[in-house]
Amino acid sequence: MASVKLTNVQKIYDNNVVAVHDFNLEIKDKEFVVFVGPSGCGKSTTLRMIAGLEEISGGTVEIDGEVVNDLQPKDRNIAMVFQNYALYPHMTVFDNIAFSLRLKKVPEDVIFNKVTNAAEILGITEYLMRKPRALSGGQRQRVAIGRAMVRDSKVFLMDEPLSNLDAKLRNQMRAEIILLRQKLDTTFVYVTHDQTEAMTLGDRIVIMKDGYIMQVGTPTEVFERPANLFVAEFIGAPKMNIMHTELKKEGSDYYVTPFGAHIKVTGEKGELLEKQGINGGEIILGVRPEHIVLAKDGAEGSIPVTLEVNEMMGSELHLHVYTEDGTRIIVRVPTIDLSEEERSRLVNGAKLSITFAGKVMHFFDKETEKNLLY
Amino acid sequence: MYKKRLTPAIVKLVCAALALVVALFFFYKAVPLIVKSLDSSGETPGFMGSIMLGFNKLFYGDNVNAAATSDSIDYGVYIFASIVFLAVSLAFLVLGLNELKRTMSFNRMADASGIEIKKEKHKTVGDILKKIGSAIVNFFKAIGNEFKDIWQTFVHGDWKTKVSYLVMGFGCIARGQILRGLLFLVFEIVFIGYMVLWGANWISKLPLDMTKLSGATQEYSEVFDAYVTTYNDNTFKILLYGVLTIFFIIGFIYTWRVNVKQNKIAEGILKSGKKLKSGKDDLKSMVDDQFHKTLLALPLLGILVFTVMPIVFMILVAFTNYSGTNDGLNNLFTWVGLDNFNEMLSWKSADGARSYSATFGEILSWTLIWAFFATFTNYFLGMLVAIMINKKGIRLKKVWRTILVLTIAIPQFISLLYVGKMFAKNGIVNGFLMDMGWIKKAIDFWGDTKNNGLLARVLVIIINIWIGIPYLMLIATGILMNIPADLYESAKIDGASGWQQYSKITLPYMMFIMGPYLLTSFTGNMNNFNVIFLLTGGTPLNTAASSTGIAVGYTDLLITWLFKIATGSGNRYYQASVIGILVFVIIAIISLIVYSLLPSVKNEEDFQ
Amino acid sequence: MKKSVSVSSIIMLVLGVLFLALGGYAIANRFMEVPIWTVNHEYLTNNFIYSSVGICCLIVGLLLFFFAIIRISKQSAEAKGAESTRHHMGMRASNAISNTAIHILLVIISVIWLIPFVCIVLQSFRVDPLCQVGYVIPKHWGFDNYVNLFVNKDEAGNVISSTLSTNGFLRWYLNTLIIALSCAVMQTIIQLCMSYTLSRFRFKMRKGLMQFMLILGMFPGMLSMIILYNVLKDLGLTSEHAVPGLILVYIASSGMGYYVSKGFFDTLPKSLDEAARIDGATRAQVLWKIILPLAKPIVIYTVLTGFMAPWGDYVFAQYISRSAPQGMNVAVGLYNWLSNDQINQCYTKFCAGGVVVAIPVAILFMCLQRYYVEGVTGGAVKG
Repeated sequence: MASVKLTNVQKIYDNNVVAVHDFNLEIKDKEFVVFVGPSGCGKSTTLRMIAGLEEISGGTVEIDGEVVNDLQPKDRNIAMVFQNYALYPHMTVFDNIAFSLRLKKVPEDVIFNKVTNAAEILGITEYLMRKPRALSGGQRQRVAIGRAMVRDSKVFLMDEPLSNLDAKLRNQMRAEIILLRQKLDTTFVYVTHDQTEAMTLGDRIVIMKDGYIMQVGTPTEVFERPANLFVAEFIGAPKMNIMHTELKKEGSDYYVTPFGAHIKVTGEKGELLEKQGINGGEIILGVRPEHIVLAKDGAEGSIPVTLEVNEMMGSELHLHVYTEDGTRIIVRVPTIDLSEEERSRLVNGAKLSITFAGKVMHFFDKETEKNLLY
Repeated sequence: MYKKRLTPAIVKLVCAALALVVALFFFYKAVPLIVKSLDSSGETPGFMGSIMLGFNKLFYGDNVNAAATSDSIDYGVYIFASIVFLAVSLAFLVLGLNELKRTMSFNRMADASGIEIKKEKHKTVGDILKKIGSAIVNFFKAIGNEFKDIWQTFVHGDWKTKVSYLVMGFGCIARGQILRGLLFLVFEIVFIGYMVLWGANWISKLPLDMTKLSGATQEYSEVFDAYVTTYNDNTFKILLYGVLTIFFIIGFIYTWRVNVKQNKIAEGILKSGKKLKSGKDDLKSMVDDQFHKTLLALPLLGILVFTVMPIVFMILVAFTNYSGTNDGLNNLFTWVGLDNFNEMLSWKSADGARSYSATFGEILSWTLIWAFFATFTNYFLGMLVAIMINKKGIRLKKVWRTILVLTIAIPQFISLLYVGKMFAKNGIVNGFLMDMGWIKKAIDFWGDTKNNGLLARVLVIIINIWIGIPYLMLIATGILMNIPADLYESAKIDGASGWQQYSKITLPYMMFIMGPYLLTSFTGNMNNFNVIFLLTGGTPLNTAASSTGIAVGYTDLLITWLFKIATGSGNRYYQASVIGILVFVIIAIISLIVYSLLPSVKNEEDFQ
Repeated sequence: MKKSVSVSSIIMLVLGVLFLALGGYAIANRFMEVPIWTVNHEYLTNNFIYSSVGICCLIVGLLLFFFAIIRISKQSAEAKGAESTRHHMGMRASNAISNTAIHILLVIISVIWLIPFVCIVLQSFRVDPLCQVGYVIPKHWGFDNYVNLFVNKDEAGNVISSTLSTNGFLRWYLNTLIIALSCAVMQTIIQLCMSYTLSRFRFKMRKGLMQFMLILGMFPGMLSMIILYNVLKDLGLTSEHAVPGLILVYIASSGMGYYVSKGFFDTLPKSLDEAARIDGATRAQVLWKIILPLAKPIVIYTVLTGFMAPWGDYVFAQYISRSAPQGMNVAVGLYNWLSNDQINQCYTKFCAGGVVVAIPVAILFMCLQRYYVEGVTGGAVKG
């Protein structure tokens, strides 16, 4: 069993700067949890508190039911992969991986087996006798992972391990981490600033901002039911379109009126609005780019916009448009659905119309920015 | 995957054995001294005393070399050194055995696992020699190519080129590159003029054959109150200007070669239809793509004249008998071939005095010991101080560093001279010790010749620590601050204690970075003239070695001996040159060996 | 994990106490003259070795004691387990003890390092006697030594001339100042030219040139001295006119010392050069406008080392200037004051002269210390 439980965890620095406020989280055994957020949100600090590299100012951290606040990092039975790999430059790859085992005085033949096994899993067997400076970034990353692997620890901590790799390598390593997770079968706590990594890797995602937890949930949850505006904008690329508009209640139906259009709220969102007893008022409306479609000019619920930039992504187009009052909106249009004639229309300055369905809308309170429905 | 070499482990074990031998050697030297001090009283020896007597009987029989009185300081030093080397030996033994065990079990597992094993390449001294050999071969090949090229250019060149072989610069002028052509032409005229007027004269006299040189004149000199023979030819000047002329000739050949090449290139350019560079273009390129030549011209000239030429000259002097008496003005000197080297390295001695080689060997061994201790004590202690100051929780870091850096700020000359005088017989240290009642009469630090001047030698090493630590501390601090912090964090997570972090991360990392520096420091200390000369002047006097003609002492290095020979009675410059060349050879050999043992040294491109 | 206090810590503690006792006993013996061995030797009771052995034992005992205490407190704190306050106290306590021990050690080191300078300053104020004595604090204080550096007095104590005109200390000081200033400027220019070229340009003979200079450096510098003296003599630049001769020699061979500067230039990214050249600058302009402003630390370092070197050069200066006082520099002059025939009149003058020479150089160095450190750590080791 290797659960991790953080209760009221706080981190206050000497100059009274609060890096982490009241962090509460329960990580189940063998779960892969990702801490994600912009720079300075406290995710690395929290990870380091779990590791024991930062002193915990308040609250408790429990690993496997045992409070570890005062335990040294080596006694917490954790392993960590650093952003800059932290490989010892004067030792060979083999010795780097074997370092912690040698400190524990494990017999040499056991060490040999463990290291070669790990190397085989990671595909670095042929580099075992090289020194780190003779390796590329991706290979060094694997060595760092290997070093953490052989410790057979209960919790696997990773601090932005892919940040220093180029885009293509990053995608590749992401897949390998998923495979690794299947093989290792331990609890993972992963820190990143890249929401794509968070969405693809995590069982659950913890989104943080300025030391606070914004939302904890599965990728589906945070994508479809973001708890507040920050999460809604952070998750998903390109980010959600935000419009300031009015929610009107007419009878038992709800309507939104962005930029002169009149769109009815349909589906279960309408029912939820009814259940919550929400009346009309000024709201912040959020619609994801993939849910916006091109409409016929002048049709019911269409919004007239002007096309500014047309990004060709391959299988789809990202249209950057702006409304009459200057609000910028991004629309994702699959290329396969467009005819030649329609495509040729999409040039700079073209006048288009867009609309969106009633069931894809997200509503946020104008002041608190919280999701009205969830 | 490679199989691991056993060599590093074996090297460590060999070091352990060597250190053990040295430890035993010091102990061996200490025993008779201890026994002597026991004997000089009359009481029955205690427990320790009887053990010593036992050893003495075992190794020396009853034959103890009775010399002076109290050797307490000396055997204290010997015992201390013995203990230090014993500890070093044990450390190497433990490390070596551990590594041996590790490597052997690794290789065993590697064999059993079935993973493919390749042989590991490693550098040896043989590789370096091969490199030098191929460099020499390439050199000769290049010269051969040059000759071929010169011939080809002549054969295939047009008439302008052919004329340029005789009249330098003609081709350039004829093709419109006036500036370049004029430069070549002027140079040729100057050279020919010089050779005709003076050069040929000097060259012809180079063999320094006394019989062929022009006649002598007898003059009455008031200074010497006698008739003094002065020669019209000054052999010193002959050698000097002859060498310069040879340099000039080499320079001319090179320039002529460039001239020929220019023609070839120019023809090629014109044939392909492009334009040649004009004089203005040339000037412009001097500050652009040829800027390196512009920048290097003056410094290299200075080095050539003031560094290379003197060294070449002094190497030649080693083969003459140039000295104060044969200084070429009052007495001519000639080539003596390898006689000087024979004399220096001969085993037999002249007139019952010590042979040169014995003196040379003695001073050489002290030089090596001194360089070794000076380098490594400074290195380890400097690192220790840097780590202490750098530790978390130590306040006033800047204050400590500033105080130590002050020692560098004060000119070494003053510090060394003063500290040397501090330890004089009537100096402050003796005064202090006598005041405290710790000693009854002044210790003659710089004059005590017992045990090869051991006291002075140890003291010199200790004072050198005082001089050297601040410098090493600065460098070590700089490196320490650059060790990435996450190395330590990772080790903390892996469970390393403070001491393990130091021994497995800090220490290896620093050795990794500072390895090459240690080598330069070692060779620099071998030639460290200032410290020895200013501190002791070479005292205490080594009477046996001094019988070779020059007063030399127990703390003299080869280089201070060289200086004394050159400036002492007789001014035997030729001997100084011989020693200088031998020093160079020794340093070169040591550097070669160490470079081949070190891991591949830093790559410049890595930093750019 | 519950660990108890380990056996090794206890052994360390016991050893520490033993050594302390031994050392204390030895020191006490010195005062009480009680023999420790059954062998009764006169010299053992009051001997330098005796009390130094005692001090060594004391130091070793103290260190062992401290370390043992630290380990024991750490281990007992661990044994107590999760009692947070105790554990923190144990950690903090042991940390505090080791830090205190290190502070004490640092104080001792500082004192040892500063002693010679304190002594030299004190002795420079001693007016009677003038020769070397065995005590430090002068019995008679005065500024006479300093005054005598700059002016000559006659029997009655009246000032007759300055040492400038009699080619005494002031003349030497001025000489050295001229040499130092010229060297500082010219050497910097030459060294920067060399190191910049070797760092930035890749031409055919580059590696060969560097290896050649490495080999040149293996020759002892003494050898060139003799021949250079003869050449300078022919040019008339020796004895009284040694100053220009020295300047010439220093500057001409300064190119050999390119190593540190080159290491520094290696750390400046080449892309800066390339960007400037694309913008249209010639290589000379790149050096002048782009690289040099960035090279301020290493320029200051080179100027500083160039300035400081001539103050301490004894051998070469002495060889060139022989015994002509107009051509001597301070090193030669001060050294002569300590020769056997002059030391009894000039010892304290030497101390004063040393202080006068050292202070400006030291002050300059301390002000520019930052650059020196940067130069040493950046260039000397990496490059």
